[in-house]
Amino acid sequence: MNTPWKFTVLAAALAAGCAAVSPAANERLEQARASYRSAAEDPQVQRYAAPELQNAANALKEAERLAKEGAYSELVEHNAYLAERRARTALRTAQARQAEAELVAAREERRRAQAQAREREAAAARAQAQQAERERQQAEARVKLVEEESARQQLQKAAAAQLAADVNRLESEAAGVRARQTERGWVLTVGDALLFERGTMFQPGAEHTLDELAQFLKKHPQRNVSIEGFTDASGQKEANERLSERRAEAVKFALVQRGVEPHRIEARGYGASFPVSSSDSESGRQLNRRVEIVINPS
Amino acid sequence: MKAAAKAAVLFLAVAFVAALAACATTDPPESEMAAARAMVAQARPVAQAAAPTELATAEGTLARAETALQRGHYEHARLLAEEAEADARLAWTTAEAARLQGTLQSERSGR
Repeated sequence: MNTPWKFTVLAAALAAGCAAVSPAANERLEQARASYRSAAEDPQVQRYAAPELQNAANALKEAERLAKEGAYSELVEHNAYLAERRARTALRTAQARQAEAELVAAREERRRAQAQAREREAAAARAQAQQAERERQQAEARVKLVEEESARQQLQKAAAAQLAADVNRLESEAAGVRARQTERGWVLTVGDALLFERGTMFQPGAEHTLDELAQFLKKHPQRNVSIEGFTDASGQKEANERLSERRAEAVKFALVQRGVEPHRIEARGYGASFPVSSSDSESGRQLNRRVEIVINPS
Repeated sequence: MKAAAKAAVLFLAVAFVAALAACATTDPPESEMAAARAMVAQARPVAQAAAPTELATAEGTLARAETALQRGHYEHARLLAEEAEADARLAWTTAEAARLQGTLQSERSGR
């Protein structure tokens, strides 16, 4: 029963006859191993081309297996060649994908930089617009201020003109009232002889003058007045001062009686101080005995 | 013994034919050929300038596969077709890597 065994040996020998591993196949195998090793050691290949490397590994494993089993040289050579090609393909694939990844990152970076530049430009434009708006508002405010100032001056001028007109009217209406313009404002002077009979007792003719004065003051409610009494130099100084003060107070009282608010009027007596004329003559003394109503500029 | 010798001769003949048959394939390698042709066609336009050596190898291997196919050497044609596809894939990938690296360089240099 050893015959079938002999046949088996014979068949195996026949099969081996067309499958000895040739030196060319060995060389190919060696090249494939080297290519695979350099690809497998490359970290970029591991990172970017793992499936391609696996394909190379599969072909190399197949080539190694066939060589070990003594298969046809042609088959060993074929698989070794595939392994070598695939290993190099894995290397190129890794390079391509790495470049692609860096390209994506670089484009993203460029987009980001462009967006930042646009944002900066927009911010600069906004700041410029805000600055322009501020300047416009400031210019507007300046114009307004100038206009207001000029309007105020106009009003003041008109008020001054009105006051001057009324003062002139008062001067002509009320006998014995003389008006003059000083740096303290308008000053109305009324001689005592036209106001007082004696002491602080008014003359009958003073009523009209006091009416006119009160009417004038009520027409200009924003202007306060100082009523200042003066005497001539004859007589005692203290008595003169007291008399001038009482007379000033009497004029104030008369005006308040005619409807002028008391807080608008200040009354003072200066005695013989600030004479307007010489005390040597009676006419001079008469000029010095007077009441002055100073209309304060508003 | 005579019968046994006859049987041995018969077996030898059968085994020899079987061994020859083992070295050849039965059907033409249609799908391998198609894959190789397609991959070469894909590689050709990009690899002509960027990977001419690799492309030439792929074209040569594909031509040999076509010849083997025409001569009815189907197993040989199958192996060559697989190799041609691997060649073409390498050519295409090489060209792609070169293209992307070029694009990256011009992107970095601010185009």
